[in-house]
Amino acid sequence: MAAFGAALVVVLAAGSALVVTRWAGRAVDRAHLTAFERDPFLGGGTIETHAWGRFHVRYYSMALLFLAFDMEMVFMYPWAKVFVGEGAIALVEMLMFIGILLLGILYAWRERALEWA
Amino acid sequence: MLPRLAAGADVAVFPFVAAGGRDAVANLHLARGLRVVETPRAATVLLVIGRLTRALLEPLLRIHDQMAAPRVTAHWVLDDGPDPLMVAALPTALRLPAGDAMAVRSVAVELIIGGRPSEPAALTDVEPAVWRGVGPYGQGGTGMTGGVPYGRPLPGWAEDRDGLKLDQLQLRLGPAYPGLPPGLVLDLHMQGDILQDVGIGPNPFLAGPGDPPAVMADAKAFTRAFSAPVPVAELEVLRARHNVARVAAMLRHLGLTAESERVLRLATQLGAGDIDAVRRLAGELRRRRSLWWATADVGVVGIDGWVGPIGRAAGAAVDARLDDPSYEGLGFEPIAGHGEADSAGRVRQHLAEALQALELAERAGSRAHDPVAVIEGLRGPLAADRPTPTALHLALLSSLLVDQEWGDALTTIVSLDLDMEEAAFDTALQSAGGEVAQ
Repeated sequence: MAAFGAALVVVLAAGSALVVTRWAGRAVDRAHLTAFERDPFLGGGTIETHAWGRFHVRYYSMALLFLAFDMEMVFMYPWAKVFVGEGAIALVEMLMFIGILLLGILYAWRERALEWA
Repeated sequence: MLPRLAAGADVAVFPFVAAGGRDAVANLHLARGLRVVETPRAATVLLVIGRLTRALLEPLLRIHDQMAAPRVTAHWVLDDGPDPLMVAALPTALRLPAGDAMAVRSVAVELIIGGRPSEPAALTDVEPAVWRGVGPYGQGGTGMTGGVPYGRPLPGWAEDRDGLKLDQLQLRLGPAYPGLPPGLVLDLHMQGDILQDVGIGPNPFLAGPGDPPAVMADAKAFTRAFSAPVPVAELEVLRARHNVARVAAMLRHLGLTAESERVLRLATQLGAGDIDAVRRLAGELRRRRSLWWATADVGVVGIDGWVGPIGRAAGAAVDARLDDPSYEGLGFEPIAGHGEADSAGRVRQHLAEALQALELAERAGSRAHDPVAVIEGLRGPLAADRPTPTALHLALLSSLLVDQEWGDALTTIVSLDLDMEEAAFDTALQSAGGEVAQ
């Protein structure tokens, strides 16, 4: 019986959410914007081409680099568990691992990957 | 209750500067009870300042219709004469005396509490083109979008500096874009935030058929000095105020709003005895790291072609006051030779020249400036037989801006102190042969 009551509440809540969102959608639709209100503001100027264009994401090399090194961080979670049992040896191994990664950063720096494209 | 609370807040104003309005708009940021906003969408009041020209009419109406209701237009008129263009374009706009901020506020408060109706749209609401494909739901057709979205073609391709070939956005910015000097129109080709091509649009302050002649509103004393004696101290105090106001403009552009207002207030109150106040300001700004970080190595100019403070900041020791007999015996030497051709150098130059102008004003006492053929104006030499400084600088602007990122380009433009009214005045000055309007 309690399960039936809970299911009823869920159905009623979902039904009223549906009605409210439909009503809200129609209300927003009625707030009509003119062609000029939809235009981007350009200080009285006009746009000649559509803004649906592909532009250069200039931080892409930095973003890729960040993702690569961010994924290396995943190895540190199991390492934290191992470190409790192994102690200093695990610490030295992790320092070696980070040292190799640092060489990678230095290489990326030399290749000017950290500069704004 | 809510409208009354809203009426108690500062009124959001979008200024639209027309011919002769540069002076009145300069101090709008200091007006009590008003808040200058960057877009018409955020504004309650569209404040038209000065006299409309035909070239300004269409941009004005477009901006008017981009405001959200409730909206009202106020017109700060500079003289008592009628402005038939304004009356025909926006008949409901209220004529108010120039500089009367309280009147603007009263109009807006009346609108907010419901005592005044919101203005209707000035232009007909017509879609440039219907965006509809061939399918039953408007989908499909030719090209990626299945049609021409809102009457505008998709961007073309262009080479990027990174070796990629990506889309290029084409747009016309101005004449009332807040980051640009009033009246400047830029035709831009942008790849992301990089300017790939920059064209200078027609100057809307240039008097066309049926328009009143251009006047150089913010430098009346300088134009008067061509034909009549003017106290040297008056010219130099004006120069000092202008230089300090340029520093305020750069601070505002960089988002240091409170500091900008403080500096602008100092600029409006500056007198010949205020050397210490400017010296203190220079000392404070020297420690303002964010100002120098944002302007260093931005907009580096060559030494050729640039005149006035910009040319002198780049190292050219050229100043019409050197050959002006009225400055003899005042110990005048142009400040030049630092070779700081970037935006930071120009800010330092403005500060140094403001100090120098106040020192000259103090030394000059009551000495009168006799009329001469060439006068060192606020932005460089003014003469009947040569282009004004802004006209010279506009010719060099495109090549300076190409390949800059958008933020740096705006910083460069602010640092160049362009005045489109001065550029429009160019032709008026030459046709009058030096006998210019007061």
